[in-house]
Amino acid sequence: MTAAAAAPVRHRTPRATSAVPLSAARLLRVELRRNTMPWILPLIAALLWFDSYRPSTGASPLYGLRTFWNMGEGRTIIDFGPFVAGVAAWMGSRDGRRGLTDLVTATARPRWAAQLATWAATAIWAVAAYLVFVGVMFAVYAQQGVGGTPPWWYVAVGATAVTAFSAAGFAIGAYWPSRFAAPVAAFGGFLAMFLSAHIGFSHPSGWALILPTNSSGSFDGSAQADSGIFYPWLPDLPIARIMFLTGIAVAALGVTGLPARAGGRWLRGAAAVLTLAGAALAGTAVGLAGTAQESAHGVVIPTLHDAANDAPITYTPVCGRAAGVPVCLNPAYRRWLPDITAALAPVLDEVAGLPGAPARTTQVAAAYPSGGNGPPQPITFGGQPPVLRMQLGLLNMPGPCGFCLGPTTEQFAGEMRLLFAHAFVGAGDSPGSPAQQAVQAALLQGAGIPFAAQPGLMAFTENFPGPGPGAATGPVYAAARRLASLPAEARNAWLTAHLAALRAGRLTPTDLP
Amino acid sequence: MTAADLHRPAPGSVPAAGTRRVRAVAGWRLARLYLVSRRVPMALALLAGLGGLLWAALHWHWNIAGGPAARLFIPLTIQAGAAAVIAVTTYGPFGESERAAGRWLPWLRLSAAVALTGVAFGALAAGAAAGGIPGGTLALLRNFGGMAGIGLLSAVVLGGAFGWAGPMAYLLITEGALAHRSATPWVWPTRPPHDRGGAICACLVLAAGLVLIAVRGPRESGRESGPAS
Repeated sequence: MTAAAAAPVRHRTPRATSAVPLSAARLLRVELRRNTMPWILPLIAALLWFDSYRPSTGASPLYGLRTFWNMGEGRTIIDFGPFVAGVAAWMGSRDGRRGLTDLVTATARPRWAAQLATWAATAIWAVAAYLVFVGVMFAVYAQQGVGGTPPWWYVAVGATAVTAFSAAGFAIGAYWPSRFAAPVAAFGGFLAMFLSAHIGFSHPSGWALILPTNSSGSFDGSAQADSGIFYPWLPDLPIARIMFLTGIAVAALGVTGLPARAGGRWLRGAAAVLTLAGAALAGTAVGLAGTAQESAHGVVIPTLHDAANDAPITYTPVCGRAAGVPVCLNPAYRRWLPDITAALAPVLDEVAGLPGAPARTTQVAAAYPSGGNGPPQPITFGGQPPVLRMQLGLLNMPGPCGFCLGPTTEQFAGEMRLLFAHAFVGAGDSPGSPAQQAVQAALLQGAGIPFAAQPGLMAFTENFPGPGPGAATGPVYAAARRLASLPAEARNAWLTAHLAALRAGRLTPTDLP
Repeated sequence: MTAADLHRPAPGSVPAAGTRRVRAVAGWRLARLYLVSRRVPMALALLAGLGGLLWAALHWHWNIAGGPAARLFIPLTIQAGAAAVIAVTTYGPFGESERAAGRWLPWLRLSAAVALTGVAFGALAAGAAAGGIPGGTLALLRNFGGMAGIGLLSAVVLGGAFGWAGPMAYLLITEGALAHRSATPWVWPTRPPHDRGGAICACLVLAAGLVLIAVRGPRESGRESGPAS
């Protein structure tokens, strides 16, 4: 037996590449354990509760309104992003601050790969915390019975924004290894987000829609409260924003791989390509936002739009009765069914038996005219037999109202009766002819709203096209008083005979009995 | 020889270390090293830059359209930034090695915090000389002083490296309170300049910050991954 034959069999060593994922995972695990981000999360959680959740509870319990402040205006991003940027800058500056750059550059793994592991750990902590905190907030909303579906696409925008903040902050720290890098990144991020929100107030369309805290779009545009109730949240704008923020994140990470100590030539070349790709992605997203158009259901970006998202959400309405007439609402508005039936009952009772009286009442999705003439009247008549259609998404519902002075149940009932009478006489989006105004006033008087209170009610009702506050005097109110003083049978007989002419605008106040 | 003997000067040794001049030189050296290790020169440069930024914002009327939150936004952000810079200077990368230098550490901490707060106010007041700062110099003194106190308090709680988190959080709370027209004196920037309640709260926070940073110092984490690492 020779020595060669006696030598132990040498097994082929595993390929080095197969060890890379394992060691990368180990490095990531170490970075996750040694990351600073968890230490700042209790402060962010407290701030999120105080600044994002607490003010939102003052809004109506519909997702479009309840999440207007924290998702539409991106308050969760403003509360989260600056802290994430600051901590990421701290992590990014770690090796340079401690004077270890030369030491870690000499290790087997390229410097840039080790930096990416540190950033990934920071981003994982931040994004996971964002998703958990927002998830808890939405769970509380669900427990409170908030109507509709949550704006999940905007949650995705927030998570991407947190990632972008972490990448930008990390790049600042990597290039400026100083203790002051963290506050500079944090305050810079806050400044950017606050300016973004304020640009949104003055730029409701065009490129500015790409800014993640611009509330214009599905929250403050045409769709408003009915997104997630009658039709899905359109993902077009969120997708463009995700592209923009991803582009920023990729470019920032690419920049950290450009210095000579980051790695070999190929690696730095890849970093340069990544930087350019990120910048191109962000630029493309800005260009796409510039092509955005406002539709009845939110912001549409033609290149990104999927027609399948235009399909309305199917639902089983909840119904009640007012003066014997069925009143049906979207289940998201279930809590207001008693208020609406109580509000409509007196006016439905006034017109009961008349030829134009509604056979049923139903809620429809709010729609804005494309001509930009302002919102239409929330209550309209249509069909045969006549159906009363209510666009409740255009109204402030009774109860909490965010930053507005929300109507009380009595004020809401008055608004509904006024809008009903206005629609019944055929005044449409205009104040109506004097005869129509007179009949409207008489119907309201019959429904329990005195003449003297009617000018104030018209002034209170948002977007109502009637006259402003003033005394209930003049020929219109004189005619209304004459009509209201008639016995109910005589008044109904006159209305039955003249309703078509009244709606056509052919009558004058002197024609009223 | 016992350990107790180490505290006594050796018989016949020259009492040179006890001379006043040497003590003064040693004290000056200690203070200088303390300030340099806390990156105070860089902090002074940043504070001067923030003063210049405030001057530029007021001189060229940088403004954001909107309500009271928008009008106060730029000055408040600059003041909070200055408070954050002061808080971050409390951080020592190797802990507080000056402990070995005797009982002077609390005085070093207090002197550095007071001096930097004074310099920062001077820089901001010089910046505000361009005119038009909402509430005038009195409001600047109150708002900035209170926020400096918050920065020092957060350095005590979170560590010097993360002292900026306190002024940042307070800025967010203030901005939200201005938007919602909240007027608690604890959010003093929302109150008028001559409001006594707001001034008292700001003074209390500044005093608490100075006392705690002097007595306790910034938090030092025992773990490497702690917030002060």
